[in-house]
Amino acid sequence: MRPESQATDGDIVRSVLAGDRERYAQLVERYRDRYARYAARMLGSVDAAEDAVQDAFVRAFDQLSQCKDPDKFVGWFFLILRNRCFAERRRSRSEASLDAADSVAAADRTDGGAETAERRRALQHALLALTADQREVFVLKHVEGLSYGEIAERLSASIPSLKMRMHRAYDRLREELRDHA
Amino acid sequence: MSEHEYHPLVKQLLDGEITLAELPAELRAEGEAALQLLGMVDRSTVSVPAVTWRVMARLENRRRRALPWLLAPALALAAALAVWLLTAKPVAPASMVTVRFVLVAPEAHNVSLAGTFNQWDARATPLVRSGASGVWTATLQLPAGQHQYAFVVDGQRWVPDPGAPAVDDGFGRRNSVLTL
Repeated sequence: MRPESQATDGDIVRSVLAGDRERYAQLVERYRDRYARYAARMLGSVDAAEDAVQDAFVRAFDQLSQCKDPDKFVGWFFLILRNRCFAERRRSRSEASLDAADSVAAADRTDGGAETAERRRALQHALLALTADQREVFVLKHVEGLSYGEIAERLSASIPSLKMRMHRAYDRLREELRDHA
Repeated sequence: MSEHEYHPLVKQLLDGEITLAELPAELRAEGEAALQLLGMVDRSTVSVPAVTWRVMARLENRRRRALPWLLAPALALAAALAVWLLTAKPVAPASMVTVRFVLVAPEAHNVSLAGTFNQWDARATPLVRSGASGVWTATLQLPAGQHQYAFVVDGQRWVPDPGAPAVDDGFGRRNSVLTL
């Protein structure tokens, strides 16, 4: 038997489904920060991301018996979180509501001075001007560092369609940032 | 192709499929500017330690309708977390880290932070209430290292952060521990 810290996602899911609810905390602990970053960049706010991740984990718990392959829990969970983020975006169309902490974090990086901080903030705002589909591809590739192949697998999309989204995102960002060039 | 659209080869550069050296000379400047844009992307870590506690509390709360460890009404509504955003690159000054403290305490009249970073002065670092939801926040710049702290609610009640590990302070109280 594997120690708890080395238990696979599948081990934990099966254990939770068998009645050991407390072990679900291990899955939350394992993935909360990784997916909070995705959600934060999608929603433009760390606070909103935290709520989204929390809700997604609760929803995943409620539907855990529907997770067909427990060893692929995280891919299944990602789709729940993704739906939550897209729903949140539709619900609150208040664009450009960047979280103060994000702005502080950007401003605090003094490796390029105030001008760099200003450009970082401008990019954060420009990202919010993208469609949710475009931003998702951008975030997964350039924040999470996934390849097109990995993104395609995760989203069940074709690589050419992802590239098209991304290339439109590049053009949109360039247009949004033309005053900051 | 409009003036705001990147050249297809520059898009390939951004996709990591070709290098700057492979671009024709006339596209180098556009390529460099495009790469600078990618360099501005915020890849900093987001940490949400309180999510574990909050998820499990919601699940448990639904199951039992009442949590045995939430006897005090104020604490029943309190959740806390510290979010620190670490940059992927070295920051300057080198060892300072942005830390965001959050306490959910709808019934509190004021909340402050006391810890090793402010000589345990319960009045030195007040949190600000945002909206009617009872969320209190404070964002601090702290040096890298280990810090101990607690929230002080209404100037009297010392509340450890449920989203962070805690240690005994030797006087019968629990201090939260934050390692940056």
